[in-house]
Amino acid sequence: MTVTVSRDCASALSDSLSHQGFAPFFGTPCGILAPLFQRLEDRSQLVPIAREDNAVGIAAGASMAGHSPVVMMQNSGLGQSVNALASLVVPYGVPMLLIVSMRGVPPDDTSENVVMGRITESVLAGAGIPVSWLDAGDVDEQVAWARSLVVERRVPAALLVAPGLFGWRP
Amino acid sequence: MNKTEAITAVIRTTVDEPIIFTTGYASRIASSVADRSSHFYMTGSMGLAANIGLGIALSTHSTVVVVDGDGSLAMNPGCLLSAGAFPGAKLLHLVLDDRRYESTGGQAAPTGRTDFVGLSLAAGYGRAHRVDDVAGLTGALREGLGATSPQLLHCVLSDARIGKPPPRIVPDLPRHRERFAGHLERVAAR
Repeated sequence: MTVTVSRDCASALSDSLSHQGFAPFFGTPCGILAPLFQRLEDRSQLVPIAREDNAVGIAAGASMAGHSPVVMMQNSGLGQSVNALASLVVPYGVPMLLIVSMRGVPPDDTSENVVMGRITESVLAGAGIPVSWLDAGDVDEQVAWARSLVVERRVPAALLVAPGLFGWRP
Repeated sequence: MNKTEAITAVIRTTVDEPIIFTTGYASRIASSVADRSSHFYMTGSMGLAANIGLGIALSTHSTVVVVDGDGSLAMNPGCLLSAGAFPGAKLLHLVLDDRRYESTGGQAAPTGRTDFVGLSLAAGYGRAHRVDDVAGLTGALREGLGATSPQLLHCVLSDARIGKPPPRIVPDLPRHRERFAGHLERVAAR
């Protein structure tokens, strides 16, 4: 039953993002985010990109062309993207929403992920990007927070997704 | 053909097509030749110029020109796969190849054995060819501006030297982004 509820959270998130003005959706897959990717793929809204920093660059172009893009990635890909954020997105003030899944935080104790799990929030905070953890509560309200930043104030923002939120198990 | 002559040819041959200039001397030369609102000077994020151009090409009907370098493309050859995945993207991707990292002191680039034309075609670009003088570049640009798929122009520079480099780009990057985004909006509204 947990998985059903969690998939509903991913569906609610994709619905809410579309309804609140976010598009297009660029992403490099992650198991934690699989239900969200599936939902977007079912609606032909998913634009898969092979590497996360490339997705950030493509989203920057879409953003300057007037869109409010979403970039979905695992936090390992945030590591790949640090320079794209630090030397393009933040200094030019390019609005986009990052949805970052959190490997390496409980209950995921895989050694290859715990370092990035430990530093993800501080990397984003250090870059000056507003960060919030997504929870299974009122998804519309949380997307409204992202909308107020990305769509209205035209600044970048990030939503973090804990390992189990959409039903993923290590 | 040196880098300044190539960039001057790009600016003279285009009208108001969006142009993304890669980091280093390419952006500095472009802004000193003519500072137009259609220019985006990517002062950091080396390797991402073609990705930014692709994001614009997917969002507008305009052909987008990218002025990349051999060192930049070698840093992120994955950008060719990213663009090659979109056969309808109107992206005209120039690689100014001096086989040097000229902006950092002229160090040799490890691109001497790289076939940029073959690489881009294998990644899915619709067309790619090599030019080595201003007349060839100008002709290829005129043709390429009607591109209906990603295209690569490998511009072989015979002279890496550019003399005294132009000054750095102005530091107000958010204002630069707004100017460029405003240009894209005006072009889209037509």
